[in-house]
Amino acid sequence: MAGIKAESKGRAGKTGLIFFPAFDWAISPTHPEREERLLYTRDQIFEEGLMDLPQIEELKPRLATLKDIARTHFCVPDVESQITEAHLVAAGSTMTLADALENGEIKNGFSLARPPGHHSMMVVHGNRGFCNVNNMAIMVEYFRTKYGHKKIAIVDTDVHHGDGTQDIFWHDPDVLYISFHQDGRTLYPGSGFTNEMGGPQALGRTLNIPLPPGTTDEGIHYVLDNFILPVLKDFKPELVLNSAGQDNHFTDPLANMRFSAQGYASLNEKLAPDICVLEGGYAIETALPYVNTGIIQAMAGLDYSHVKEPDFAPGRFTQSDEMNRSIEDTVDELLDIWKNRDLLMESAQSELGDFYRRRKRIFYDTDMINESQEESVRLCKDCHGYMTIASTAQRGYGILNSAYCVSIPRGACKSCKEDAHEEFEEHKDDRKFNYVCLQDKDRDSYQIYDVRTRNRKSY
Amino acid sequence: MLIGIDVGGTTTDAVLIDGTRIVKISYVPTNHGDLLKCLLNAFDLLMKGVDPKKVERVVLSTTLITNMIAEGKAQPVGLVLIPGPGTNPKDYQLGQEPIVLDGAIDFRGHEIQKLNEDQARMAGRRLSNLGLKKVAVIGKFGQRNHSQEMKAGEIISQIMPDAQIELGHRVTGQLNFPRRAATTLLTAATKDSYREFTEQVARALKERMISAPVYILKADGGTLPLEKSVEMPVETIFSGPAASIMGVLALTPVEQTSVIVDIGGTTTDLALILSGEPLLSSKGARVENLLTHIRAFAVKSVAIGGDSVVNVAQDCVDVGPRRDGAAFCMGGPGPTPTDAMRVLGMTDIGDLALAKKAMGSVASKLRVTLEKAAQMVVDAVVAKIVSEVEQMFLEWEQEPAYRVWEIVENEKLQAQSVVGVGGGAPPLVPLIAKKLGAKSIVPEYAPVANAIGAAVARPTLTLNLRVDTEQGSYSVAEEGLTGKVTGRNMNLEQAEALARKLLAERAERLGIGEQAKEAEVTYSEIFNMVRGWSTVGRLLDVRLEVPAGILEGWRS
Ligand SMILES: [Zn+2]
Ligand SMILES: [Zn+2]
Repeated sequence: MAGIKAESKGRAGKTGLIFFPAFDWAISPTHPEREERLLYTRDQIFEEGLMDLPQIEELKPRLATLKDIARTHFCVPDVESQITEAHLVAAGSTMTLADALENGEIKNGFSLARPPGHHSMMVVHGNRGFCNVNNMAIMVEYFRTKYGHKKIAIVDTDVHHGDGTQDIFWHDPDVLYISFHQDGRTLYPGSGFTNEMGGPQALGRTLNIPLPPGTTDEGIHYVLDNFILPVLKDFKPELVLNSAGQDNHFTDPLANMRFSAQGYASLNEKLAPDICVLEGGYAIETALPYVNTGIIQAMAGLDYSHVKEPDFAPGRFTQSDEMNRSIEDTVDELLDIWKNRDLLMESAQSELGDFYRRRKRIFYDTDMINESQEESVRLCKDCHGYMTIASTAQRGYGILNSAYCVSIPRGACKSCKEDAHEEFEEHKDDRKFNYVCLQDKDRDSYQIYDVRTRNRKSY
Repeated sequence: MLIGIDVGGTTTDAVLIDGTRIVKISYVPTNHGDLLKCLLNAFDLLMKGVDPKKVERVVLSTTLITNMIAEGKAQPVGLVLIPGPGTNPKDYQLGQEPIVLDGAIDFRGHEIQKLNEDQARMAGRRLSNLGLKKVAVIGKFGQRNHSQEMKAGEIISQIMPDAQIELGHRVTGQLNFPRRAATTLLTAATKDSYREFTEQVARALKERMISAPVYILKADGGTLPLEKSVEMPVETIFSGPAASIMGVLALTPVEQTSVIVDIGGTTTDLALILSGEPLLSSKGARVENLLTHIRAFAVKSVAIGGDSVVNVAQDCVDVGPRRDGAAFCMGGPGPTPTDAMRVLGMTDIGDLALAKKAMGSVASKLRVTLEKAAQMVVDAVVAKIVSEVEQMFLEWEQEPAYRVWEIVENEKLQAQSVVGVGGGAPPLVPLIAKKLGAKSIVPEYAPVANAIGAAVARPTLTLNLRVDTEQGSYSVAEEGLTGKVTGRNMNLEQAEALARKLLAERAERLGIGEQAKEAEVTYSEIFNMVRGWSTVGRLLDVRLEVPAGILEGWRS
């Protein structure tokens, strides 16, 4: 799709592929996120000889640093205790591709790595929806810090709402986050409705498209053609990134959609993302080998028309008229939001004072943690405004951890910087919290202060 | 005593070794038209006054098959593919149009689409009409279930009873369908010529009354009994370069990490020995334009050598990649590195006055002295080779890995020594070594490293076993062997025991039975297959290997 990006790079060259199946890492032996997940995908893409093709370059991932993670997340009590080496590889894969893209070594890239990340939010107390840290968000922050990119679009094509990515970029007007997914009333994590549109300074920069269970290739491509692609064309991002979950597939055991390998491949071709990052997808034999083959071929400009799941026949799935109408209605509603985003933002801000505050409750399904947050953002005229999050995590009947987190945005104004530092210093003596964290994106420096021991950790 | 013979493109080099001593070296020109005569000449030179009964072992290496393919003299083969879903068969770069049959097997070995037998019959008739005598039939995932390959082969052979039909799963069982197809194609194309070669060798030995066992050197540096090798001719592709590398291994200190630099007129070949083991190319050798599954040492050819063209651009010199002819001092058309080395007294090849004239032209363009210009040329050659060596180490470090620990450990190695072979090596290798902070070695017997390498190489052996306990079956990648297992809970230890048993049987069939004991597990993994929330079976992969090595008697 020519014309989506602000500067049409017209990149020539190879598709960078990182295949990292983490054959020695699992959440638990029978968990969907286990060693076996990409085994058959390995067999298929190796048997196809895809890595040998002149259009494809296989790259080896590097390890992400703790600082790369601290740039995106407030990990409580610290980064080290929230990650394993496998997470550093999965996050590192995205940055290896980012570097290769920026250095002109590749024209686009696919991080086919696990574990996934799109349910990890800004504050991390444990594992949510199979995710500890958000590989996509870590790459976005890296792109901005190292290469100075400003406007970035993330399109999340996983069947689950990427609530983690949405949370991280909620207040960021320069990151457009678009997610289509199975309706949250019928699927984990239960969010991602059209009225979730981003913070008051970033209204319309979060766009959610809930789809009815049973949506087919037809419905998803309707959304793509009539909503996602036109919005991207308007937004003119410097980079288009794709959270490439594969659980919309008609055989996925955790969801109820009817998307096919052909549907995924042609979606990729139309979207033409700069980098794809694998998220979920748990039909490890019936979907992943075929979907991944199709995506790789589409990215590399190869013919994907011969990719077909054994039990798929064109025309096997159809949508009812009612389903078609409901999808069209959702798209119409969202197009309205997108067109009126500036007005919506103005009216939202006019009702607010100097600060915007909200409370959130977050459930960590894997680790059985309940977190409650009080978030506050300064509505600053001179910058994106500093943010604070007071977070308390509970497991069972006891308090697990609590943290007071302060975030300074890139390009923060003097007053926001000073006030944020003041907040950080003040809370060092606040016994209500175990930890006080400072995320200074402007200086790319990160700290965690332990209130009891008075130890400080810097990244 | 041991005999090593390298039948090269131009000369046939041979050595006779007694224990750790090199008794005799001989060189005869390779006579492509009459290989028998060439081998007889080599034996006569080598064995003058030696009792043929004292010979315990003969090993050959050869580039004949490689050359035959390069010159397009291999026989035409009909290519029949059963690709199933995935890549468009047109995107596989196999150098010829395949006949495609409907049918499909998946990664677990399930048949997901029936073979279209009518199409197989039509393929047979078409190939027969084309007058082809060789057919290669390869199915995607045929190594996991070879029923469709077998059936298609059977149908075609009924139509073309005289044709030689090669099935992919019999040639190799490694994952990578296009490489398996290429390897099968080459096997079919070279089998007859290779058999002829082995017959000539056998006759030559018989005529000179040498009754010792005779072996061929494979591309992975291992030896294989000659009579067993006729089924796998492609394993001998690149046996020539493998012989040189094994020779360097034999002529240098043990357990070292070294770079082998073979500097010729046009190109410089680089190979690595990592902690005493020659580096294999990660997936298999490239043969002309075909990527194959052939296990071969990684050799990098750099277009720079003694006769490379020297260009002057502004204030610097640029060497290669072109060669326009010999060095100026040898009557060639223009300045070359050899001329520079002649001026600096690094070599005494060629005419000094001519060398000075060649460098003089370079010097005047650069507006420097004659010596300075020559030094700049030599420095440029050294810098180019050093950078390629560093790149090779980097590429080795950047080999993809699929386990967390492999990424975390990320081993780094650097060269302890630089070993020079080939005519251009002696003057340049010390300079390259110095830049790399390594020791420079130019072995006394470097010119016959190839024949020595052949003489003292040991057998290699590999076996890749995959067990699928849900299906109750196993398959061996090397020979397309399959069998049954019982019980869903096989563990890695049991799988390794099964692999050892199968390896011992394979070694026996190959006539290298005693080697099987030395095999080490180089790779093993186990996956629980979980469906729903319960374990329904296991997938186990085990690889056993006896890597390339040198006969024990040679070192002591
Ligand atoms: Zn998902
Ligand atoms: Zn401000």
